[in-house]
Amino acid sequence: MPDAKSRTPAALGFLTVTEHAELGLFGGYLVLNAAGRPLEFHCTSPVKPNRAQEILYGPTLRPYLFGEQIGQTLIAKAKNEVALVCTDLAACLAAREFIERPLLVVFAKESASAAESEFAVGSRFSFGRNEVATAAKFEADQQAVQELSAQLSDGIDLLEPFARIREALEEAQKSVRPAAA
Amino acid sequence: MEASPEQLTSLATSDLALSVDTFALGWQSAISRPPKFETTSLDFSGAAPRAISLKVPRVLPRVYSFTFPECPSYFQPAKKKSEPALARAAHEVSGDDAAAEKTATKKPTRIKPPGDIVKLEDRLYYVLQPPLENLMASGEMTFPFEPFPYQFQGIAFLYPRYSAILADEMGLGKTMQAISTIRMLVRSGEIRNCLLVCPKPLVTNWRREFNAWAPEIPLSIVEGDSNKRRWQWTEATAPVTIANYELLMRDRDVLDSGIHFDLVVLDEAQRIKNTGSTTSEIVRSISRTRSWALTGTPIENRPDDLVGIFEFLSPGYLQTGLSAKKMADLVRDHILRRTKDMVLTDMPPKMFRDAELDLTAEQWATYKMAEDEGIINLNNMGEQITIQHVFELVLRLKQICNFDPLTGTSAKLERLEADMEEVAASGKKAIVFSQWTKTIDQMKPGLARFNPLEYHGKIPSAKRDGVLKEFKENKDRHMIIMSYGAGSVGLNLQFCEYVFLFDRWWNPAIEDQAINRAHRIGAKGAVTVTRMLALNTIEERINQVLEHKRELFAAVIDQTGGASSAGLSQGEIFGLFNLRTPKGPIRTAA
Repeated sequence: MPDAKSRTPAALGFLTVTEHAELGLFGGYLVLNAAGRPLEFHCTSPVKPNRAQEILYGPTLRPYLFGEQIGQTLIAKAKNEVALVCTDLAACLAAREFIERPLLVVFAKESASAAESEFAVGSRFSFGRNEVATAAKFEADQQAVQELSAQLSDGIDLLEPFARIREALEEAQKSVRPAAA
Repeated sequence: MEASPEQLTSLATSDLALSVDTFALGWQSAISRPPKFETTSLDFSGAAPRAISLKVPRVLPRVYSFTFPECPSYFQPAKKKSEPALARAAHEVSGDDAAAEKTATKKPTRIKPPGDIVKLEDRLYYVLQPPLENLMASGEMTFPFEPFPYQFQGIAFLYPRYSAILADEMGLGKTMQAISTIRMLVRSGEIRNCLLVCPKPLVTNWRREFNAWAPEIPLSIVEGDSNKRRWQWTEATAPVTIANYELLMRDRDVLDSGIHFDLVVLDEAQRIKNTGSTTSEIVRSISRTRSWALTGTPIENRPDDLVGIFEFLSPGYLQTGLSAKKMADLVRDHILRRTKDMVLTDMPPKMFRDAELDLTAEQWATYKMAEDEGIINLNNMGEQITIQHVFELVLRLKQICNFDPLTGTSAKLERLEADMEEVAASGKKAIVFSQWTKTIDQMKPGLARFNPLEYHGKIPSAKRDGVLKEFKENKDRHMIIMSYGAGSVGLNLQFCEYVFLFDRWWNPAIEDQAINRAHRIGAKGAVTVTRMLALNTIEERINQVLEHKRELFAAVIDQTGGASSAGLSQGEIFGLFNLRTPKGPIRTAA
């Protein structure tokens, strides 16, 4: 019988970022149990890079903001341990440097190839019904993820929860705007 | 001219030491003094460049966190072969690609928080719930058949609401939607006890539907003598209690003794449209957290009918006398209303046939005499005339339109017999509605060859299920004759393809309910509705009023606005005979 520490947590994390034309970036992180029910939700205040950051970070700005600033901060706030974290934005893979669990980018069917991604991703592989990839520096995660897939499910719909996060972020923004007005 | 080498050698060897005498001049001492020098420094190291610092902030964004309770029994993945909710689609991929593709293209049904939930955490709780299609397929939640998409939407509507009216047209499955939502709420732990109140004849129907749609949810049916009922009210631990309206009146004292329900659901909630009725008072007095009303006819006569229902849902939210448009705006977030035309595009059609009949000669003679005499009598009453007097005349004339009281002839029965020949010959079944049991008795002899069954107020409740079973299963039973009162609600007779309205009810909503006994989910073919109407009689005039009331219903519930109150007012009833009310001129019904 495996001890508690070695057991794989059943929860999954979902990380995404939405862009608001005026306010900037909003990050959202949703932790679901194995039945798809929400356990935790964390969202950030708007993040807007200044001109200096835009110049100095250049093409690495989005991975910095999405992964290091937003992703790392959100994931650190979660109380439930997750088996893996999924994102639908390659730039969020930069957060993998700061977390211990595997981080996968989930591709929509019509998405661009990995080579065109704004962050270096590893080779694609199937995870349930989805095409996914790890960060290029963490291709070893693929092995760990495939071991997890047997415990979680053969084919999780990993894209669906992102729609929930985006709606929740909209809801949160709506609730803030009247208060601010 | 350049000097030659010889000349240069001669010069070098010559003695050039000439004697020089100096004179004591003042300036010569100055020559011996050391010279004075003044120095000026020039810096060639260059200016240091000016440094401009650009601030690159590394301030982490502020994070807002929300946590949600995880209920132990809520849609946990099944222990056997069932997969987690998220896995459902993938399961279908592996099983049947075509079906899975179809599922993938369906728009998932999500719960949306209602407008009256203001706390962000509460709103996010609903926003972040998975699509219902996933929830339904997960764990041990099983269903007799897959709900229609609009039924998922109905569940998503009810689930987060503390005050709601599900006003779907009859036959769209309000029962199933309510049961499935109750089931989800109970299993999630959001409610612990629910009271469902329905008309007495529908209790068995609700029990049957609960067994089909929520077999794992224990039920407690309040029935029996007063001691047993008291125990059931106070001690029963089943999460769902079913009671009928009549019992609520008898058990009022028990209900007032501090019993609280997390949810109270009223079936056929139009019963409480009159806020002054005892039924309305009692249900409003029940201590509860959530209040739902189920009715296919939230407005039977006038928009103010809704006020009565809202006094139960959210006391004080609506006031009488509001315009239809204003009321529509107020109730929009609380009412969900769908018609078959809207949601069941592939459902068999409902076809109306208005059988406009000339009365038999005998009927006509009797009718004319009764009407003329009746109007004369009413006019002679002068200021003493009341609405009851007019009603009596209307009812008498309507009965003559059904059967001539002297000879027993009936143009309607003749037509019904002719139509039933065809129905029976094709092996189909029909429902005939009338508002009088006396009329039902009169039509029986002429219809005996079709083996009619009866279902009305004079049939004991205990025998009614048996009657319906016999009608459904016996091929030789081609028709069932029902009264509007007993047969218009809650019954599933979708195996019938013909409905005859032998006479017309005052209220179009009741007629719709009657028709929808047959025209509902599961209907095998088109449902033909024959509305019998005696030409040039009171029936024709009443029909004009009914049409007007249909327009009213559309104005408020379908939210197109515009129509004014169109109940069968006193003025309209008087207007049926072109009479004047005691207090002055009246408006005609049409």
